[in-house]
Order: sequence, then structure tokens, then C-alpha cells
Amino acid sequence: MTTVLAICVTVIVTVSVYLMLSRELKSIAMGVFLLGHGANLAIIAMSGSPVLPGGDLRQPPILGGENLVDALPQALILTAIVINFAVMGFLLTLLVVTARKTGTLNVDELALEDPPVASPEPDRTADRGVGR
Amino acid sequence: MTDNLLGLLVVIPLATAVASVALIRHRIPQRVLGLVSFGSMLVLALGWLSEIRDGDVLVSQMGGWQAPYGITLVFDSLSGLLLCAGLVVALGCYVHSFSMLDPVTERRYFHPLIQLLIVGVNQCFLTGDLFNLFVGFEIMLMASYGLLVIGGSRRQLGQAYKYLILNLIASTVFVVCAGLVYGMFGTLNLADLARIVDARVASGEGLPPGFVGVSVLLLFVFGAKGAFFPLWFWLPDTYHTCPVPVAALFSGLLTKVGVYAVARTFPLIFAVGEARDVVTPLLLVSAAVTMLLGVLGAVSQNNVRRILAVHVISQVGYMVFGLALMTTAGLAGALYYMVQHMVVKSSLFLCCGVMERHAGSDDLDRLGGLLKRDRFLGVAFFVAAMSLVGLPPLSGFFGKLVLVREGWADHWWLSVVALLTGLLTLVSMLKIWTKGFWLPPAEQAPPAPGRDGDTGSGDLRGAYAGIGFLVVVAVLIGLAAEPIYEIAFHAGEQLTDPSAYIRAVDPHGLIAAGGATGGGG
Repeated sequence: MTTVLAICVTVIVTVSVYLMLSRELKSIAMGVFLLGHGANLAIIAMSGSPVLPGGDLRQPPILGGENLVDALPQALILTAIVINFAVMGFLLTLLVVTARKTGTLNVDELALEDPPVASPEPDRTADRGVGR
Repeated sequence: MTDNLLGLLVVIPLATAVASVALIRHRIPQRVLGLVSFGSMLVLALGWLSEIRDGDVLVSQMGGWQAPYGITLVFDSLSGLLLCAGLVVALGCYVHSFSMLDPVTERRYFHPLIQLLIVGVNQCFLTGDLFNLFVGFEIMLMASYGLLVIGGSRRQLGQAYKYLILNLIASTVFVVCAGLVYGMFGTLNLADLARIVDARVASGEGLPPGFVGVSVLLLFVFGAKGAFFPLWFWLPDTYHTCPVPVAALFSGLLTKVGVYAVARTFPLIFAVGEARDVVTPLLLVSAAVTMLLGVLGAVSQNNVRRILAVHVISQVGYMVFGLALMTTAGLAGALYYMVQHMVVKSSLFLCCGVMERHAGSDDLDRLGGLLKRDRFLGVAFFVAAMSLVGLPPLSGFFGKLVLVREGWADHWWLSVVALLTGLLTLVSMLKIWTKGFWLPPAEQAPPAPGRDGDTGSGDLRGAYAGIGFLVVVAVLIGLAAEPIYEIAFHAGEQLTDPSAYIRAVDPHGLIAAGGATGGGG
């Protein structure tokens, strides 16, 4: 089981690093999310036995009667998933706002301090009602 | 000693944040609520700090679950001093924001976000286990992401991603590290970890394979948050774009939490045994390069806000210097330096905000003659700047004195770098002082457009109150160096010899008696 998990983690992290090396913010965001999932799987793999002794995948791992797996890593992962979810929501919102305001999600174009396009002032007044 | 009210330092700002969201349309009640929150926390924290002056450790076990099974909050000399300094900085920046933020930005959840930032910072300082440190980091970072793009101008959005992505990656690595540590030792409680690591080194059993790797990964995580070399590239751009009170708060709190995390975990756990031989050289080199490159970067800038932002990096180098020594005096010096730096740096940023308001720009070529125009600002800036440089009897001097003297014996080259950095700090501060305050204003330069989110009312009373408060505290830290150092030395002793810390967290000896024995589930 641990071997399977280790292979999964490797694949996920590889894909996420590939995505994060992109110049496009959408791909970078997807890479970051994938990395989070890889991290959670890594914790499961590190926590010793991720399923009940004997490798029974059909039984719930914590409510298994006599034999229980360590519940703490599961609690840690639950917390990490919630945090990851919140960050994901925030990042996606920010991407939408950025795309609307700047018209680009390319890292190189965003890095320019003073855009060649219109000044930001009209945008500011246009969406004043949004954040209330 | 047990004090079950420690949780209040997390609960008060959280409750205030929720109440602020409910009152989002009403500006004055929100401000009053925020002031009450910061004031009450500061009173509580100072009260507890006076209780632990003799090196006691206050502990609160959440829900009565004893360590290492429950969540533990610890208020010892290290966390107590930093908590008080953090709250002072937050209060100063908060008052400053009353006159520096425009109403539109303020209505975009500024007050709830700033309270949530304090929730995260306080939890980081108080927590007694590695996973809650991660959770505290995340709360703090989520609030900081929000504050960073508050107002949502194009420039802010463009620069925010660097900070965001780097921190997201660092956080993920942190979770993996927490998992690895749990796999190795079967616990995440810092006191428990310290005991196990200590016992295994003492008994000659040795540390599990991969322990050094986890140490270095954690150093990467905390270094990214604390802006150590070579992970500091996000900092200048980030602090350049957000509103001044937010930049001041970030400069005072965010990087310091990263440094605190190193100070808390490395001498206790992750720099013990063979890990110390790997971590110490890394920290030493990082300290020297951070100090020198930071200050050289600052000298080369021609923009007040950028000079101050790059200076934050250079000052972090001093703190890493103290940490790298890993001696009682070195850690105490680093702690004192952190406390004074938080207050001084934030007050400089706040001064910069008022300078921008007067001149419409923070470009040094456009500034000038501010001393005649605003004498209070000039005096406040001068005191804070000299404090940063380290002129006795101001606070920076005592921080550098202990660090340089402690480093002289074993790492004299690092002390030389520290002194050189001090000299270059003086150069860059004098640059701002001469061009901004002393010389007559430059020839009629066209007025630059105001910075996003900073165009509030013309009333500067809040700004002056914030600056005055922080500068007075900065001078007091210098004058009261001895009592503060007394606490700082207790912190240094507790970090180099964790037995008192372990005893306080676990008075009944549960950890030592039956807890996890280590060795991976």
C-alpha cells in the first residue's frame, strides 16, 4: 500500500511541478492545488499503516472495531484539506479579478509595473460597489 | 504554571473579526471595536509578561487534554516578548490607518482582515505543537493575501502572485514536513519532540534517517516566510504596492513570525545532534549574505518605500546571525533585536506614509524640505532611523552590541559584516534624511498621482498618533534595555536547555512516562 501511495505522490508532484513552471497563472494555480493533494497523500503514506492491518480496504479505517489505524494523521489531513480548499477559492477569485482588470494572466505581462494599456483609475471607480 | 485564559489572545481578535463583518457598513463602531480588541489584548499580554519575568512558563491545555495528546498553548519568555511587541505594532499601525486609508478601501473588509492577521500571528507565537504552527501560519497568510490586494489596483494584483505562490509552496512543504516528523517520532508536540530527540541523541541511538533532510526542508519553509537569503526576492515588490499601514504591519509582523518559528523549533529539535552540523553553516552563510545584500540593495534604491522594504531583509540577517550562534546570549540578542526592529521598522514605514502624503510621491528626487514643513515628522523619522542604525542610547545599539560581542569569539568575520552593515544602514538612512528632510525641495516636479488606497481625508491626527506611539515605545525599549534583556536571556536559557519548557508543558510527567517512544508507527 505504501508503495502505491509513494508512486501516486511522485506522479502528482511531477505533474504539479511541470504545471508550475508554466508562464500562465491558470496552470500555476492548478499546479499549486495538485501539490496540496500530493502533500496530503504523503502524510497518509507517512502515518504508518493507512488502511486496517491486513490491507482491508472495504472497512472504514477509524471505525474498525478492535483494530484501528492511527486517527491523528487523518485529522491533520482533514485540516489541511479545509485550508487548501479555502486557499483554492481565494486564488481562483483573485485570478478572475485579475483577468477582468488587466485582461491577461501571463506572468511576464503582469510583472510590468506600469502597463502600456489604460491607467487603473477608471477600473477602480467602475467596480467600487463590488467589495462592499 | 497553568493559565487557562491564554486562549483569549486568539479568541478576542477572532470574535472582533466576526463582529466587524457584521458591522461592515459602519466605520466608527468597527474602529472602536478594533481599538478595544487591541487594547485588551495588549493589557492581558503585558500582565502575563510581568508574571513570567523570572523565567516562568505559562501553559494552557485546551479542553483539559494533557500534552502530548491535546492542543497546548505556551506563553514563555520568547513568545511573550514577541507577542507584546507584535500587539504594540498592530495598535500603532491600526491607529495610523484611520487617517491614511480611503473609505472605499477601509470598507473592503480591512478591519476583519487585520483582526484575522492577529489571530494567526498570536496563534503562531503561542502554539506548542508543529501542526498548529502550520495552522497559525495559514490563518496569518490568508489574511495577509487579502490585505495585500485590498483595493485591488492593477499594480497590486500584478505583484501579489509572487508572494502568494511562494507562500503556498512553502506551506505545502510545511505540511509534508509535519507528516514526516509525525512518521518519525509519533508526535507533533514540541516539548515531546524535544524530549525524544534529546533522549535519542544522549543514549547514542541516533536520529532516524531523513531527520537532517526534514530540518533543511523546514529551514526552507521558515526562510521563505522570514525572507532569508536566498528566499527574499518576493519582499521588496510586495511591500511596495500595498497601502502604507498594511506595509508597516507586514514589515513588523510577517517576516518576524518566520524568524520566530526558527528560534522556537531549531534550538529545541531540528538543530540537535548531526542536524546541527548541517544547519549551522547554512544559517551562518545565510545571515552574512542576507545582511550585506539587503543593505547594499537599500543603498542602491532611490525611493523611500523601497529603501525601507529592502532594509527589512538586511535586518532579518541580524536575527539569523543570533540564531545561528545557538548560544544563550546569541538567542537573547536575536530576540531583543526582533522586538526593537518590529517597532522601529513599522514606525519608519508609517513616517514614509506621511511623507508620501505631503509630497505626493516617495521618490527621493521629488521630495525635499520636509523638515520645515512638518517638524514632528522630521524628529520622529530621525529618532527611528538612528535607532535602526544603532546609535546609543537608542534601542538598535543594544541589539547589535550583544550580537557582535557574542559572535566575535567564534565567527569574527560575521561580526565584521554586521558592523559594516550598520555603517551602510547609516548611509541609506542619511540618504532619506538629506534628500527628504534637509535639502530644499527639488525644482517644481509635476505632482505624481497618489498611491492606490492611500488617499484618505486630509486629517493626519491618526497618523501622527500612530507614529508618536511607536517612536515613544522604540525609545522606551532602548531605555529599558536591561529588564527586556532579562526576559530575553531567560528565553535564551529556555531554548538552549529545554527541560524547563518540557516540565511546564507536561507537569505530570505524562510525556516522559508513557507517551510515544518514537520510531515510526
